[in-house]
Amino acid sequence: MGRNGAGKSTLLDIIAGLRAPTEGSVMLADRAIDEMTAIERARTLAHLPQSLRADLSMRAEALVLMGRYAHANRWFESDDDRRIAEEAMQRCECLEFRRRTLATLSGGERQRVFLAACLAQRAPVLLLDEPATFLDVDQQLQCFNVLRAEADRGTACVAVTHDVNLALTFCTRLIVLAERGVARDLPAGTALDDPAWLRGFSARLTVEQSGSRPWVRYQ
Amino acid sequence: MLMRRRSVLTWLGGSALLFVAAALVLPFVGPSALDWSRVWERQEPDWSILTNLRLSRTLLGLFAGGALALAGSLFQSMLRDALATPYTLGVSTGASLGAVIAIVFDWHMRAGVVGIWAGALAGAGLILFVVMGTATRGGQLSSSSLLLAGIAINSVCAALILLVHGLTGMSQSFAISRWLIGGLDAIERSTLLVYVLVVIGTGLIVIRQGRQWNLLAVGEAWAATRGAQVKRALFHGYIAGSILAATTVALTGPIGFVGLVVPHLLRGRLGGDDRLLMPCAFLLGGVLLAACDALGRVLLAPAEIPAGAITAFIGGPYLMWIIRRGGTR
Repeated sequence: MGRNGAGKSTLLDIIAGLRAPTEGSVMLADRAIDEMTAIERARTLAHLPQSLRADLSMRAEALVLMGRYAHANRWFESDDDRRIAEEAMQRCECLEFRRRTLATLSGGERQRVFLAACLAQRAPVLLLDEPATFLDVDQQLQCFNVLRAEADRGTACVAVTHDVNLALTFCTRLIVLAERGVARDLPAGTALDDPAWLRGFSARLTVEQSGSRPWVRYQ
Repeated sequence: MLMRRRSVLTWLGGSALLFVAAALVLPFVGPSALDWSRVWERQEPDWSILTNLRLSRTLLGLFAGGALALAGSLFQSMLRDALATPYTLGVSTGASLGAVIAIVFDWHMRAGVVGIWAGALAGAGLILFVVMGTATRGGQLSSSSLLLAGIAINSVCAALILLVHGLTGMSQSFAISRWLIGGLDAIERSTLLVYVLVVIGTGLIVIRQGRQWNLLAVGEAWAATRGAQVKRALFHGYIAGSILAATTVALTGPIGFVGLVVPHLLRGRLGGDDRLLMPCAFLLGGVLLAACDALGRVLLAPAEIPAGAITAFIGGPYLMWIIRRGGTR
């Protein structure tokens, strides 16, 4: 989390190996990201970019199958790949428009398809740049539920989000970026004890107890 | 994309069938009607007209149209731009400039088509180098700057062609204008053979990478995090597309629009899967150009309309229709 321009997307891009850091290196399970081949990296990390083109003439199902690129060394995907893609689409609730072309889908529907493609990649690390963009309230919750379930299966999920309450509800660890670095890094459970972390991105936020969990309000 | 297996086979088979049918039928279309029985008995001049002139011209049309359509669909996927073709990227104009310079130095008189071929390849190679050099920053090749650099270099090359054209003598000037219109001529069998082998080889390499082009069509970051080697893929794709375009331009002159029209028409019907789109674009692009050429032979016979003019008549209005409809890709 963090203000616009705090470097959230840049950080995700660097972890994903899309940009080179000006200093330092990204280590994953004792291996440097930039020493991995593209295939190895794709088997380790799945990245959902913030904005993707909307006018694609391919079908939803085909896009989800792209997540299998790093796993299938052949011209067409195997039945296994298809099964995995189908399951991912089911979980993201987009199986019903598998045969529609992406250009005919709404922004939210498209976002679910892209998320399904990332799940179909079956990588142990998921990097998501504002995965809930364009989604309606129900779908935002659904999206984070899917990610929560994925995290419970043992996948490391890192999501950039502006929705503090979504983060408080679904995430276990909150990292606030500000002024070229990590301003705060705290377990979500302690958010109530130390509300100073909210100052990292706005002075107009307060956190209070709402039922069993903390809830952030706008003043 | 991801159509049922049967419809994939129908499209591929149908396109291949049309390609073969065009190769068999179109040689018989022309200003002087061929007599079947004379052809059968290999009597002159019918036999020579068929085998030496019409057949080689038809085959050139089939493979040139295929190469241009394939290069067009490749560039469109790589650069995610509906208007990306060998022309907008400057490769074809660079090849034209090289060929025009070759004509000025009379290479075509001394070495035949090989002279023009050498000029075009050199031109395309030089432009390739300049465009990629311009578009690369900090080791990163970006598709939008490739397109912009291509458009910039295009106008420079076009201006240079005009300049060269204006400075040359009558006979060369005529040869240049004739060549610049773009058209198919019968060429020597050995040249045709080399050309066909280059096109098939490059085409197979490109089509084999279909999944990679699909990934790039979504986005460079998308492709990279799915496991594609983006920089290498763009580099290879640009070279392969340039080889297809330059060898073709050297033989036919700049034939417009095949590379634009065919992938667009097909993308609307087949969807965007390059594994299916590219082979179909190759086969049907070839059929379109060869058919345009056959049409040009008979429409105003005995005068000939160059295939380049016919494809421009079809391609120009089609492009305007795309713009009017506001649809890209």
